Amino acid sequence: MTKQETVLLHLEDVWKIYKMGEVEVPALRGVTVEIKKGDFVAIIGASGSGKSTMMNLIGCLDAPSKGKIFLKGQDITKMSESNLATLRGQTIGFIFQQFNLIPSITAFNNVLLPLEFLEVDDKIAIERTRTILKLVGLDDKGHHLPTQLSGGQQQRVSIARSLASNPDIILADEPTGALDSVTGKKILELFHKLWKEEGKTIIMVTHDLNLAKYAHTLIELKDGQIISINKNFEVEK
Amino acid sequence: MKFHKAFKQALNMVLHSKLRSWLTILGIVIGVAAVIAIVSLSNSLETEMNSQFDALGGDLLTLTAGASRANYFSHGRGDSQEWGGGGATATEEGEEIELDRSDVQALKGVSDIKLMDTQISGNADIYYVAESGSVSVTGVDPSTWSQITTLEVAQGRMLGPADTNVIVIGGRIADGFFKKQLGINQLVTIESRLFRIVGILDDNSNSVYMPIDVAYDVIEDKERGIYDRIIIKVKDENQISLAINNTVKKLLIARHVTENTKDFSISSNQAQNESRAEMMNSMTTFLTAIAAVALLVGAVGVANTMFTSVLEKTKEIGIMKAIGARNNDILTIFLLNAALIGFIGGLLGVFFGGILSGMLPALMGQSGGMLSRMASGSSGISWSMVLITLFFSILLGMVSGAIPAYQASKLKPVDALRYE
Repeated sequence: MTKQETVLLHLEDVWKIYKMGEVEVPALRGVTVEIKKGDFVAIIGASGSGKSTMMNLIGCLDAPSKGKIFLKGQDITKMSESNLATLRGQTIGFIFQQFNLIPSITAFNNVLLPLEFLEVDDKIAIERTRTILKLVGLDDKGHHLPTQLSGGQQQRVSIARSLASNPDIILADEPTGALDSVTGKKILELFHKLWKEEGKTIIMVTHDLNLAKYAHTLIELKDGQIISINKNFEVEK
Repeated sequence: MKFHKAFKQALNMVLHSKLRSWLTILGIVIGVAAVIAIVSLSNSLETEMNSQFDALGGDLLTLTAGASRANYFSHGRGDSQEWGGGGATATEEGEEIELDRSDVQALKGVSDIKLMDTQISGNADIYYVAESGSVSVTGVDPSTWSQITTLEVAQGRMLGPADTNVIVIGGRIADGFFKKQLGINQLVTIESRLFRIVGILDDNSNSVYMPIDVAYDVIEDKERGIYDRIIIKVKDENQISLAINNTVKKLLIARHVTENTKDFSISSNQAQNESRAEMMNSMTTFLTAIAAVALLVGAVGVANTMFTSVLEKTKEIGIMKAIGARNNDILTIFLLNAALIGFIGGLLGVFFGGILSGMLPALMGQSGGMLSRMASGSSGISWSMVLITLFFSILLGMVSGAIPAYQASKLKPVDALRYE
């Protein structure tokens, strides 16, 4: 698999320390890891292990206290907020546990929004939105407001939104956490399809080991440190 | 993000805003409506006053006798003047102060004066058929009156130099004073003398104008050769102050008085107009200031709503940032949202202000004053006023929303996303 040979994301001795008054609480302690293009990574660990902190750093939503993060070869710790926002919009698609759709606009416009921020030509953006909504099986639900959709449908809109700008990485934070098991399974099958057929790099944060089995690489965190990185070759079949 | 896309987002925010946003807009509406109503009302009031004062003539001076405590032109101490009062006033010593032929002679030596009209006035009874009533009679110099007066005839003519037993009557006397309408060449009796009507004025007054010689016989207690006032028309309206100074100097000498013992006063319509306009301006400024306070309260409301809105939308801001929104995009969206609140408030304010300024004169002026005439006249709202108001409403919204919008744009995505 030659596509896996390109390093997309590289964390180098990354620390994140939160200050609680006088006390310093380290959430990540010297994490070093490489994520290659086309991988399906699951970051697992118990509550408080530093999963969400790591996700925020990978997603350029937060800056590390120490260490460097390279995204597509660029050191994001040295980038301006504006450039970081553009890089985020072009490179990373977010999927949240609570879907995080904008409630006042339709499903179609929610998917269209990242393209508007990237100032993509209207015609292309609309065509792309239609295609993606079809890919997630919601081509007939575009005109609905998020509140008019079921949880599974909302998460699929959220997945469509994450795919809108054709990002290199899809970053999912407990993507099935708010869904029933059947719908959750369907969502993961969709992830698998995106990984296998579309060649997307997927990074999924979860505490559920049953979900982790869908991933190719398992990174286990404990107390802010990586304790293991395993490959799941079963999933390739 | 392109501007029109940001505008679409901002519009969407306003349209989906809660009742609180609409109440904020209502605050702006009330403020703007109050400003519009007050400014347009005072505009039309000013126009109406100006048109009335313009009719009085800016090149006219009125000379009256009397030790005025006051004079408009720094010859006295600045109180208002008696306008067309009695011609003779008593001094402290009991001596009558009056205007007579010697004053006219003195004035003839003032080069700035173009024409003079000596006048007396009083009340007299008028009879027509079997009816009678009291009218205001003014005796004028028939040779100059028509050239000096700003009055105009609707029918007939003004008085001429050769006229004796003829009169020009006010519009009200011709129509509405008696049961039967009066017309040109009809005869009426005033204090036992028969007069022929030669002109009907284009006004609504109960005045009668007649040659001064006959007026002495008609108006009681008037001594021939003594005038109530002398109306002076100056040669150059722009040099009116100079004309006043020269006239005053001449009269001081002729009447053997000094600045301190001055026993006459001169007023000009222009100065009166100016002081009235000044008063009007002060009143407008005062009322506008009150309305501006209302608008300021509205602005505070916008700021408050924007702060709450930013808090409410913190998570949305986080989501937008996560999917690629830059700080500038968020700032633009929130500023446009505030501008839209201002714009909608301003637009509705102009609309209701227009209605209000149309209704107020009708409500206040039912008795038939200047305000009621304004009600039937054109509105005092101009396009420029509407545009300025809208511009300021938008500016107000943006200024009020600037800090909240800036705060929104500076939110860290990770913190914003965590906000519940």
